[in-house]
This record gives sequence, structure tokens and C-alpha cells, in this order.
Amino acid sequence: MELKKLIVDLSGLMSIGGFERFEREKLISLVGDEFDENYLDKVGNQIFVKKCGKENAPKIMLDAHMDEIGMYVTEILDGGFLRVINIGGIDTHILQASDVIIYGKEERLFGVIASTPPHLASGDGKKLPQIDELLIDTCLTKEELESKIRVGTPVGFAPKYTEILNNKIMGKSFDDKACAACAIYATATTPREQLAGDVYVMLSCCEEVTGMVAPGAYALNPDYAMSIDVNLGRVPGTKKEDTVELSKGPSITISAVTDRKLTNMLIDVAKEKEIPYQISVSPTHTGTNAVSIQLAREGIPTVDVGLPLASMHTYNEIISLDDTKTLCDLISAFITDEKIAKEYAQGGLVL
Amino acid sequence: MYNTLKTITLVHGVSGKEHRVANTLKDMIAPYCDESHIDAMGNFIALKKGTSANPKKVLLCGHMDEIGFIVNFVEDNGFIRVAPIGGINWVACAFGEVVSEHGVHGVLVPNSGTKASDFAPDLFYIDIGADNKKSAERKVKIGDTFVLKSNLTKLNANRVVGRPLDDRAGCGIVLEIAKRIAKELVADDVYYVFSVQEEVGCRGSKTAAFAIGADVSLTFDVTGTGDTAGSKPMAVKLGGGAAIKIKDASVICDSEIVDKLSRISKEKNIKSQLEILVYGGTDTSSIQMTGAGCRAGALSIPSRYIHSGVEMIDMNDYKACIDLAVEFIKE
Amino acid sequence: MKLHGRELLEYLCQKFGPTGFENEVADAIVEQLYDDCDKIVKDSFGNVYALVKGEGNDRVMISSHMDEVGFMITDIDGDGYIKFANLGGIDPKVLYGKQVILGNEKIRINGVIAAKAIHHKRREDRFSVTPIKEMYIDIGAKDADEAKEYVNIGDFGVFNSDFVFFGTDNKYAKGKAIDDRAGCCAMIETIRKIRENNITLPFDTYFCFTVREEVGLSGARVAAEKVKPSRAIILESTAIGDIAGAPAHKRVADVGSGGVISLMDRSTIYDTDFVNFTLDTAKNNDIKAQVKRYVSGGNDAGHIHKSGKGVKCVAISMGTRYLHSPACVASMEDYESIRELVFAMLKNMKAEV
Repeated sequence: MELKKLIVDLSGLMSIGGFERFEREKLISLVGDEFDENYLDKVGNQIFVKKCGKENAPKIMLDAHMDEIGMYVTEILDGGFLRVINIGGIDTHILQASDVIIYGKEERLFGVIASTPPHLASGDGKKLPQIDELLIDTCLTKEELESKIRVGTPVGFAPKYTEILNNKIMGKSFDDKACAACAIYATATTPREQLAGDVYVMLSCCEEVTGMVAPGAYALNPDYAMSIDVNLGRVPGTKKEDTVELSKGPSITISAVTDRKLTNMLIDVAKEKEIPYQISVSPTHTGTNAVSIQLAREGIPTVDVGLPLASMHTYNEIISLDDTKTLCDLISAFITDEKIAKEYAQGGLVL
Repeated sequence: MYNTLKTITLVHGVSGKEHRVANTLKDMIAPYCDESHIDAMGNFIALKKGTSANPKKVLLCGHMDEIGFIVNFVEDNGFIRVAPIGGINWVACAFGEVVSEHGVHGVLVPNSGTKASDFAPDLFYIDIGADNKKSAERKVKIGDTFVLKSNLTKLNANRVVGRPLDDRAGCGIVLEIAKRIAKELVADDVYYVFSVQEEVGCRGSKTAAFAIGADVSLTFDVTGTGDTAGSKPMAVKLGGGAAIKIKDASVICDSEIVDKLSRISKEKNIKSQLEILVYGGTDTSSIQMTGAGCRAGALSIPSRYIHSGVEMIDMNDYKACIDLAVEFIKE
Repeated sequence: MKLHGRELLEYLCQKFGPTGFENEVADAIVEQLYDDCDKIVKDSFGNVYALVKGEGNDRVMISSHMDEVGFMITDIDGDGYIKFANLGGIDPKVLYGKQVILGNEKIRINGVIAAKAIHHKRREDRFSVTPIKEMYIDIGAKDADEAKEYVNIGDFGVFNSDFVFFGTDNKYAKGKAIDDRAGCCAMIETIRKIRENNITLPFDTYFCFTVREEVGLSGARVAAEKVKPSRAIILESTAIGDIAGAPAHKRVADVGSGGVISLMDRSTIYDTDFVNFTLDTAKNNDIKAQVKRYVSGGNDAGHIHKSGKGVKCVAISMGTRYLHSPACVASMEDYESIRELVFAMLKNMKAEV
């Protein structure tokens, strides 16, 4: 198993909100062998299990969301054009003249998001057309389209992964499949006998829209959890306190709404093992699945961890492969730490 | 079918006060189910037991509550100030005839000279014809609820207009399904849930779904259409058949349920259309997400002028929803 | 290696050739044409001239421009982010989020045009176009010093966009720089066809691959002064608006209906006889062609027709959707129509001197 390849393979899968299972077979063929079990829960969250082999071992949940931002077809028009709506908060600034793939049941179609020719543009040119005003050009006829796709067919950005300096890479949907890849890689490569508990990697659905991790966490009922999502990278025009830096290691979130003790224990582990990390402060909401997991059942102690990422919600998100490596180290440290396992095993307080 | 719908539609049932609707439905569904009860929130839940030794649980849901007004304050001159319950379209309600839960009639009007663009809850009052506070308070007390007068009329071409078709139409469909499959041997347990408090945030269905722990759910509610003058583009048309929901602002329906409904519609020749609603939300989302969640789908009844006094649906769409759901359950 | 048709078009389009930095394209063209013409030379401007010798003293010029819209680096900030300016008219709406390749004579490096994430934008800015001055190119450098090891102020950039054939029967092409490598490609294939058919024309034909069209400082002007032709055929790409919902009178032309023949644009009124000859030739040879139904744009003809004692011009354009973006879309049937039309015209043209 190679981390960079896994990140690119996973990120390249189509898993737009509502269609996380579209390429499930491929996902299983990529990583299924590394785990003792894999299954879908009731609402479609994908779970990979690696048992530690000990009795009464705590249940550790690693959450990264499987869904990615994308679009659904809303209308098939004359001349082979499509109208779409966004699924998740796509940055509308990126849309015009980009390559898309329309995922028909049987066939993938290529398309381009039309840009408006200058002589057809209205207004002063400063207003940004929103997604429901744009067209996708397929260069197919309406009849051909109607035989291949329908309203609700998912449309995703074409994958194109390119490396830039300092071991960074850009492309679509590292949010959050780079993190999913790290959770899988870290769990798969950590020797079974070192695990402090049974590890459940949950690739959850629909984070970008409605969020399905809550029923997932409810059903799984872990003893403690780590939520892994991307974190806004620092770029020109952003504030230091709102962002983290690429190439400086994963971020650990301190927040009023996550488990403080578990967070501190993770920080201690990182220090002890000399894993580079940065602190990210999100006072009242992490903006990730951590909060939903925390509130499931009688409360699940949860720590929120982030992978620095620039250009979030575009199809050229940038991450540092060095950060993914250290993120794996941090995850591995988390799932092997006996102190944490002892602290949180068996749910703590029983009434 | 129309008469049943009309009976259900004319019962008062603002969010939080759905018991009259529940009692009406209770009598109507009794012959077609094995057991029923009203839960702590007020949801009315009926069960038809499955034949399988290890039955799966199918949940069918329509909400009983309707939008309306709650009395806040009675002024010295007898005018009644109200607060909205649910998403009130003030333009659609202005100068409308309203009726309280106790049968008191009145009219909902804005303060004199208010422009439509300025409409806001505090600028409206109900005039019940009382000439002072005292006489008003003989008929109405704080906490009483009013609704736009319920009614249902047949129009041309199988269309009906009135209120509150949101969502007594859904309740009606669930009831008709119960009738249709009462004699059938269905392997799964079928729960008929008539939920409360949908209009104020899908609250009732949440606890009902938690208690049931369903495997699969279908929700029946109205959806907007794109076929009215000046409407935003939307593929759903009145008369276009049952609307199979793909998404709205609160939910993405299970894609396998969407595919299954589409396939059955084709195979059984039941008219259907696909629905993507960019706003709005229904019980589907709360059912999908409660507890360990369930595979959730929804069949919507295309409706024009939702949340007004003149909600319009096509009875052919209504019937298509029933037909499609029945075939779905049989599978 | 000699390439043909689709492969040749893709090969040319993927070359790095922003306005003012056309050498890589020029070299590719020379390499492709080396054996096919009587003479091939490059002038000090960077224009490439390929001569197909005929009989007599008349000269005909056929011209396409080699440059594409692109970028120039204007500054490298303290953190190693790169500020840039457009070369040619690029709508800022198609810049943001796109991958680019930067470079100079020695190096090529990948980057992406970015700006702060939508999560950091003010609400009102989410609905307005991001101005180019708020965008930057990220090459992944950790600071300015590292960035400067790779690129300098004044270096060039182009879009990094996959070349894709798609649509009905895969007969549509999508990529960058179709404007005007499609014209260059058609010229190369026309020269080869003249050779393969052993045709001797009653005039010398200068195929001119020109520079710097996109910023208006046309290499074609120099080329025309050098060649001194009696007539010129300009092969171009033109922005068309045949998209859903566009009003009929603003569609300009239709993809798939053949080469677009201009009657007038913002820089030229085309010679009526020559235009009629072009349309007749298309008709007589069953080649699709259409008249441009809108007055817009301009091309090298603007310079060529006013050069020397004056030159009769006709412009045949490839109708291209989303021109000047990384995702230009054009029809390969139109490409073939244009190529066949140019060949048919040359065969039917008489010497004028």
C-alpha cells in the first residue's frame, strides 16, 4: 500500500453526496483486503474494521467523510446542454470553462461548463453567474442525452492531479478523501498487536450537505472517536487565526465543543512521539463531523484533527504529501495509545 | 378518494394541536391495521404486521399539522394580535378568512396602509368583529390557534384546490395505501406514521422514527412545481405524476430507493417524475437521520401555491403516489 | 515524427506558446513541415514562413497565428505566491481555480490560479467576479526565495488543460489554444495535400505562422510587408454563442456548420469578390461553410489588408465555443471543412499578376 497512490485513487473516485456507493466495488478492491471486515451501515456509511485481537477491547472510531462536492443534473436542454445544481458548497468562482464528467448509469460522458461569450454577457460583468444559471455543454444531442442520463444524474469535476513544489499535490476532492486515505493507511499499516482497541474506520456520507455521521455514530456506538477533516490553509488575504499552514503537520482542534481531555491526551502523544502538529482554534463549532459524533447516544468523546488544505471546495485543492504522512503518524499514535484506551474504555460513567 | 381527502382536510390541526386530525384518522384506519397508538409527542402510529418471521420495518409518513397563527395578545379595541406557526406567506394570507380551533370566525388583515413588501407578523391582526377587548375575550383567549379557513373544491380536469393539502394529501395517501394493502400478505411490518409538528421543524417524525427504528421509509408531502407563471425553473409539473424526490434542501434521498421507484414506475406504467427541490424540507430528513437512521425516500405530490388558501393538486398525481407506493411495498 | 489530423491538432495545442513566447510552437511547426515545403524560414519576430513554390510572380499568403492567450508573471510576493497579468483577453471568470504551466526558455513548472477560499470571502464577494488582482498563482513554494529559484518576473504562463475528444461520435475537441493552432494545423495539412497531389499552383503560396496576434501587435503585419501578397486567406478561430438560451441573432455561427466566413469585423471589411469566390468554392465542392452573422472581434486581416499597396483578404474561422479559456470547444468536422475549403480555393484561384 502506497500512501500517495491511495490518496489519488480515493480522491479520484466519484462519491458526490448521495452517490458515495457509486464506485464502492473499486473502493473495496483498493483497500478491502487490509481489513478484517467491511460493511455499509443502515444509512450507507462505509465501515472498515481492524480488530486488535484482545478481549473487551475498546471500540475506536476514525471518521473521515466519503462524500465530495459536485452537482446533479436538473434539466436536459436542446442542443445537448444541461442545467445543474450544486451538492455541497462549491466555490462558484471556479465553474466556467471547467471539465466535468457526467456519471450516467452505464456510461461516463465528458462535458464542459460553458462560459458566457462576452457579447452575450449581461450587466457590467462583475456579477458572478450562479450555478443554476450556467450550462454544461456535452456536444451530444438531446436524444442521446435522454437515453443515457436523467434528472438527478451526478456530475463531477474531472480528476487531474498535478504535483507542485515541496511535495504538494493539487486536484479534486482531497476534502475529505485524502483524510479517508490517511485513516485507512494508518490503520492498515499499524501492526495488529500494537492496536489499543478495535479500529472502525467510518467513511461517512453527505458531510457536505446534511451529514450522515450522526446515525452512523449512533449505530456504531464507539468508546471514543477521532474526526479527521481538512482544515483551511493559509493563503494571501486570509487571517492567521482562521487558518493553518501547509507543510507544518496536521492540526489538532481546540474547541469548547470537543472533548478537552482527549484533545490534551492526543497533544501529549504527539509531543512524546515528536510528531509535528499545529493547534487550530475553533471556539464554538469545528465545522466538521466531530460535533455530531460527540452528541451521538450518551455522548462520545471526540477529538478533531485536520489536514491543511488550500483552495477548499475547488477542483484544484492543494495539500502537502508531507502533511499526509505526519497525519498518518498521528492517527497511528492515537489508535495505539494505551493510556487513551484505558481512560475511555467501557464508556466511563454508568448511571 | 376525493371524499376521504376532503374529510381529512377540513379538520383543524395547527402544529401542536393535531389531536382532532389524529382522532379522525384513527377511526378511518382502524379496519386496515393491527394496532395503533398516539405517542408522547402526539404522533398517531398504526401498524400492519408483516407475515415474515423476521420482518423488516417499513415506515410510511404524512404529517397531520398545518401552518396557522397563535393568539399573542388582545387589544383594547378587540383586535387580536397573532404570531405565525410555520412558514406563513403573509401576502397569501392577507385579507383571508380565518377560523379558530373553537370555530370562531374572523379575518386576518394588515395594519391600514401597509405595503405588501413591508408585510411582517407584527403588522397583522385578526378582526373577529368584537367591538372591545372584553367581548373578544369571550370568544378567544391567548394561546388559541387560527388557520386560514379550510376548504376543498373540485376543479376541471381532476384537479382540486383548497387547504391544507399540505399535508393532509400525504395523510390521505398513507390512509389509502393502508386500505389497498390491508388484505395483502406483506412480508414486512408496515408502520403508518401520521406525524406532528412538521411545519415547525420536523419534530414529531423524529421521535416516531426513533421509536420504530425503521429499515426503509417513504414520506409523502407536497412539493412545488415549475409550471406556474414566472416560476423558477423546476422539472416538476402538476399532472406529471408522482414526484420521486431526489433531494431538497434538507435531504438527499437514498439513491437505491430513487432507482427502485423509477424502475417500478416504468414497469407498472405508473406516471412519475423526478424531483429536485432547491429549497424546503420534509420529515424525510428527520426520519433518515434519527437514531441509527434508515434508508429514506419520498414521494411528493406536486402542488401549486403551497402555504396559501388555494393549494392545488391533481388527483391523478395523488393516485399515482398511492399506486407507486403500493407496488413499492409489495416488492 | 509526422503527425496528422487529430493527433497533430492535439500536439500543437498542447505546446507552450503564449503571446510573445511562440518559439516552442514555431519549432514544432518547422519540425512537422521540414520535408513538405520548398523553403521554411523564421524571421527576427518569430514568424515562420513556409513556401510552396508555384509558377509566375503572383503571391498568395495564408496566415494563422501561433500564439495563444496566457499570462505573464508581474510579481512574486514575500511568501512565494505569484502575481500575474493576462496576455490577451481572458475573462476573469475562467481563471480562478485553473491549473497552469509557467516557464521561460529553461524551465516549466506547474501551478494553479487561486484566491482565498470561499469560506473566507465576504458574503457579498461570493456573488461577484473575483478581480484578477485578488488572484495569485500557487506553485507550492515555501517562500519567495524558493519561488525565484524556479520562475522570474517576466516569465510566461499558459493553461494546463487536457485535450479531449468527446460528444456525438467523439467529433468535438476540447482544449486550450484551439485558437489558433487549429489554423496552423490546417495549413500544415494543406501544404502536405498540395505536395501529395503534385499540384503546381499558378502563384507562390506563403504559409505564414504568425506571432503576437492576441495582444493586437500582430506579427502578421510584418509578415505581410515581407511577403507582399495580392491576396490573403486568414485562418482564425472566432467566439460563437450557439448555446442553449442564447438569442438567435447573437449566436454568431453554429458549431458543425463549417468554416465561418466574415463579411466584416471590427478591423476589416472583407473583399466582396474574394468572399463570394470563397462561398462559391465551398458550394461547388460540397464543403460546408457559413457566413458569420454578427460583427465582432478582429484578426490578423486587420493588419494584412492595409499592408503595402493593399491586400484582398478573406477570413475563414473555426467557430469555437468558450474561446480564450482552457476549455475551447470546436468541431472536428468544421476543422475538416476549413482544411478542404482552403485546398479547394487554392486549386481554383487564378494568378492576378
